[in-house]
Amino acid sequence: MQKDFAQLNYYEMLDIKPDATALEIRGAYNSALQMYQSDSLVSYSFFSQKERKEILAHLEKSYSTLINEKEREIYDNELIRLGVIQATEKKAAVKGPVSIFDINRQKDTFGMMKANNAELKAKISRNQRIREIISQQEIRGADLKEIRSELGVAIETIHQQTKIRLDYLNWIEDDKIEKLPAAVFIKGFIKSYLKCLCIEPADEITTRYMNYPGRKN
Amino acid sequence: MAHIWPIGGGKGGSGKSFLASSLGRLLAKAGKKTLLIDLDLGAANLHTMVDVPYPEKCFSDFITKKINLLEDTVLTTPFPNLSLISGAHDSLDIANLPYEKKIKTLKAISKLQYEYIVLDLGAGTAFNTLDFFLASRNGIFITTPEPTSIENVYRLMRSIYLRRIRHYFSVTDFKALEKKVKQHLGDDSFNKPEHIVAVIKKEYPEKYALIKKDFNSFSFKLILNQLRKQDNVDLGLQICKIIKKHLGISVDFAGNIAYDEHVHDAICQRVCFLDRYPHTRAANDLRELNKKIGDSFGEQLMLNYL
Ligand SMILES: Nc1ncnc2c1ncn2[C@@H]1O[C@H](COP(=O)(O)OP(=O)(O)O)[C@@H](O)[C@H]1O
Ligand SMILES: [Mg+2]
Repeated sequence: MQKDFAQLNYYEMLDIKPDATALEIRGAYNSALQMYQSDSLVSYSFFSQKERKEILAHLEKSYSTLINEKEREIYDNELIRLGVIQATEKKAAVKGPVSIFDINRQKDTFGMMKANNAELKAKISRNQRIREIISQQEIRGADLKEIRSELGVAIETIHQQTKIRLDYLNWIEDDKIEKLPAAVFIKGFIKSYLKCLCIEPADEITTRYMNYPGRKN
Repeated sequence: MAHIWPIGGGKGGSGKSFLASSLGRLLAKAGKKTLLIDLDLGAANLHTMVDVPYPEKCFSDFITKKINLLEDTVLTTPFPNLSLISGAHDSLDIANLPYEKKIKTLKAISKLQYEYIVLDLGAGTAFNTLDFFLASRNGIFITTPEPTSIENVYRLMRSIYLRRIRHYFSVTDFKALEKKVKQHLGDDSFNKPEHIVAVIKKEYPEKYALIKKDFNSFSFKLILNQLRKQDNVDLGLQICKIIKKHLGISVDFAGNIAYDEHVHDAICQRVCFLDRYPHTRAANDLRELNKKIGDSFGEQLMLNYL
């Protein structure tokens, strides 16, 4: 029979496995919100206001912890230490020597991107703002982020598709250049990122990204 | 022994009788000897849905001893293999059925010679309704995707849960338990079986183990009826998820039944919807549900609390 919700671990709260990918975590969080939010038909009358508020706070905490790679690692180690989960369950997420590509990550089970290339292209051609950004002389991480947001693609999706580590993607979008690896790698990342969003011409835009003066110094 | 499918729903109008008659019709059509029992006394209309407009005897004749054997209250319907015990003339409310009569009825039902017995239970959470629902491990909950109906189905589920727990305690023990729950958790906590279970776990660990085992052997089903295009098709699955996670009982989502104007038409013409409109979405949903439910039920009657 049931455990008190507050006693569940973050993975149980979100109904995911300990090796869930970032995309799965986000998806689980969204569907949990759908079920527990106060205007949700699913849980209508099932909880008191107070219970609902507590559950939502727990979900928020689970999500924000698990989506952050550092915090997740600390949390996972704690669970492993307490014997709640096995180190082997975490196989997929365990970090060996720092690798640039996460080839161990699970395949994108949602298959969102592959199916939607045509849709993305159509969106791009309809979107004034994206076309403006693409035609800029200087392309920065913030611009990439804006394009991605306009297209409504999750950063986790790009992570899944390109196998580029999530923290790198975040640093790219936030222009935290000092944290990123050598330029040769970055060039590859940007190209994959653009290809993943169906932004053309990828080579040319990558060059503009690599060359913008702010980057160099 | 017969397969017993009690059908309970939160609310009047959610489609219990429509579902009972449709499942009955499908089972009978598949050659199964099937009996429908209308236990929605006071609001009985199952007879109208299976084209028995003037039932000449009914369930209360058994209760008042006008008819001695329950099987002698059975009526035939125009459909081969499909029989009915009507609730039509019952002035009696199911809630007022005295305890011994209820036990007598449950025992009589368990001895009826049918392959399938479908119980159409009224709305509400009267103890008697709950006990009929618990006459089998295969109770079917039905609701529509409206907050009022969902509210009632949750209430019914909690009541069923609590009622089942109640079967494990004597009157005095249960009173004592009640007191402990209030002590631990405050006055309004007693409506929530999940709170009570937490206390049982602490105070009566052997009982807890039994109850847990018992609930694992149930195979409840949930059906969402009258789904319109704009409704969330996953609602039923999500409800089952909430129930599992927060009440700790497994309810399998059996499927959706589309909202269809033809249902109303068929009822108004007093013809069987499935025969009159076989090629509609709702008819298809019903056939699929029937198959799914039929395939998945195992062990039958319990009545072990009698
Ligand atoms: N799937 C459906 N589509 C459209 N109308 C329905 C459907 N199911 C039930 N109804 C309507 O709801 C009414 C109430 O159904 P009924 O089975 O009598 O409910 P209950 O027995 O739960 O009170 C029916 O008369 C019918 O008009
Ligand atoms: Mg009815």
